[in-house]
Amino acid sequence: MALAAPASETFWKPTAEELQGRPVVIEVDHLDWFFGPRQVLFDVSMQVREGEIMVIMGGSGSGKTTLLRHLVGLMPPIPGKIRLLGQDLGRLKALEKLELRRKIGVAFQFGALFSSMNVAENVKLPLRELAHLDEKTMEIMARLKLEVVNMSGFGHLMPAELSGGMVKRASIARAIVMDPKLVFLDEPSSGLDPVVSSALDDLILRLREATGISVVVVTHDVESAFKIGDRITVLDKGHILACESPEAIRANPNERVQNLIHRRSEQVEVDPEEYLRRLAGD
Amino acid sequence: MAAVLKVFEAIGRRTAKGFDEWGFAASLLAESILWVFVGRFYRQPVRFSHTFTEMMRFGIAALPIATLMAATIGLMLAIQSLYSLGLFGAQNFAYWGIALSVTREFSPLIMGILIAGRSGSAIAARLATMTINQEVDALQVMGINPVRFLVAPMLIALVVMLPCIAMWANVVSIVAAGLYVSAELDKTFASYVYDTLNVLRPDDVWHGIIKSSFFGLLIGLVGVMNGAGVSGGAEGVGRVTTRAVVQAITAIVISDMIIGYLSTH
Repeated sequence: MALAAPASETFWKPTAEELQGRPVVIEVDHLDWFFGPRQVLFDVSMQVREGEIMVIMGGSGSGKTTLLRHLVGLMPPIPGKIRLLGQDLGRLKALEKLELRRKIGVAFQFGALFSSMNVAENVKLPLRELAHLDEKTMEIMARLKLEVVNMSGFGHLMPAELSGGMVKRASIARAIVMDPKLVFLDEPSSGLDPVVSSALDDLILRLREATGISVVVVTHDVESAFKIGDRITVLDKGHILACESPEAIRANPNERVQNLIHRRSEQVEVDPEEYLRRLAGD
Repeated sequence: MAAVLKVFEAIGRRTAKGFDEWGFAASLLAESILWVFVGRFYRQPVRFSHTFTEMMRFGIAALPIATLMAATIGLMLAIQSLYSLGLFGAQNFAYWGIALSVTREFSPLIMGILIAGRSGSAIAARLATMTINQEVDALQVMGINPVRFLVAPMLIALVVMLPCIAMWANVVSIVAAGLYVSAELDKTFASYVYDTLNVLRPDDVWHGIIKSSFFGLLIGLVGVMNGAGVSGGAEGVGRVTTRAVVQAITAIVISDMIIGYLSTH
C-alpha cells in the first residue's frame, strides 16, 4: 500500500480548465500584515481550488511563512479576509476554529513532532484527541498513514532518532491522519539532499493523486516547485509577483521572477559615496 | 531631564508588561477552569491520563527530595527550639512551636520553594522548547487547544499534589523533630506525638493545605506564562527558566506573608 514508486514515475496533473471548474477551497483577499512598523505582506490576494497543488515560492524574507501562518489561522487576517473551505477565518469563534482545523493538516518546516512521544504516538495524537476511536483502530490508521509515507516499521522510534527526511515524512503522516481536505506543507524539501527531496515531491504528488486533497506548499526550492505545482505563486518582499502555471511562470517577463527561478541575486546599483555614508551611520 | 524621562519610560514599560503577563496568567487560569468543566461537552475533555502523568512527575517523583528536606527542617527546628526555649527553661514546650510552625508555615513554604525550583523550571523549559519547536503551533493547527492539552493538566496536578507533599512534609518534619526532642529531653516519642496532636487544631493543618494549593497554582501559572512567552532560541529557554523560578519563589514568599497576616488578624 506504500505510495513509494520509481523516480521515473509520472503523475497526473489537472489542466487549467479542469481546475477552473472546481470549487475554491482557500480564498485570500487583500491581506496586509505588519511586524511593528515593518510591512511584510502587501495586499495579498489568491485562490486555491479543490484538488490543486499550489506552491508559494519566494526567497528568504519574502513573507511565505507569514502567509502560511495566516492561511492556517495562526495569525488573524486583519486587515483582509481569508476564507478556508468556505468559512471566514476572521469571523470564526474559537471553538468553530477548532472544528475547522480538524479538516486541515499542517506539516511544519522542522516537523514539530512531539519529542516526548514516539513516531506512532505522534501520528495517533490527532485521532486520540479528536476522533475518539478505540486503540486498535487508531493503531491501524497510524500504521496505514506511516506506510503511505514509507515509514512503516519506524513507529517505535523517537523523533530524536530520525533523519531529516524521516522527520518530514512522519510530520506529513501526522498531517494526513485525519483525512483532511487541505494540507499545508512548510518547506518540505529544506535541508534535504536532492534524492530525498525528489522522493518527497513524488510523495506529495502521489498523495494528491490518491486522495484528491488540495495541497499548499511553501518552498524556496525552484526545482521542487516546478515539479509539483499546478500553479505557483511567486512572493517577493511581501508582494505577489505572479500566480500562474509553471509554464507561464517560466515565460514570465518580470525580472524578479526570472531572478528567482534562475537563482540570480538581484543587481542593485549602489552609489559608493552613499554606501560609505550609510556605513558611517550618517 | 532626558535621563529622568528614560527612567520613567522604563518603569512604565515594565509595569505595562507586568500587567500584560498577569493578565495572560489570569486568562490561562480562566480558560483552564473552563476546559475542565465544559471540555467534555465539546468532546475535548482534560485527559485524566495526562493529569495523572503530571501528578506523578510533579508530586511522586519529588517525594525523595521532599522527604529529605522535610526531615532536615524538622531536625533544624527541633535544635533551634530546644536552644532558644532552653534560655528560659521551657524546652518541654518545644513541641508546641514545632507543630504550629511546621504545619502553618514551614511545610507549605519550603515545599512550595522546592517545587518551584524543581517543577516550575521544568514547566517553563518544556513549554518554551515546545513553543520554539513549533509544537504548540502544531497542536493549535490540529484543532487541539494547547491550554486544554498542556496547561490544565499541569495546573490541576500542582494544585492537588503540592498540598499532598506538604502533608507528607508535616508528618516527616514532626516525626524527625520528635525523635530528636524525645532523645534530648529523655522523653518517650509517644508522649511527644501525644502532645503534638493535642496542640494541633484542624484549622492549622487546613491553613497549610490551602496555602500549598495556592502556591501550586502560582508555580504553574508563572511557569506557563514564562514558557509561552519565550523568544530567542536556546538562550531564551534558559532565560525564561531562570525567570520562572525567581518569579515563582518571590510570588510564594510575598503571598505567604500576606496570607499569614490576613489569617492571624
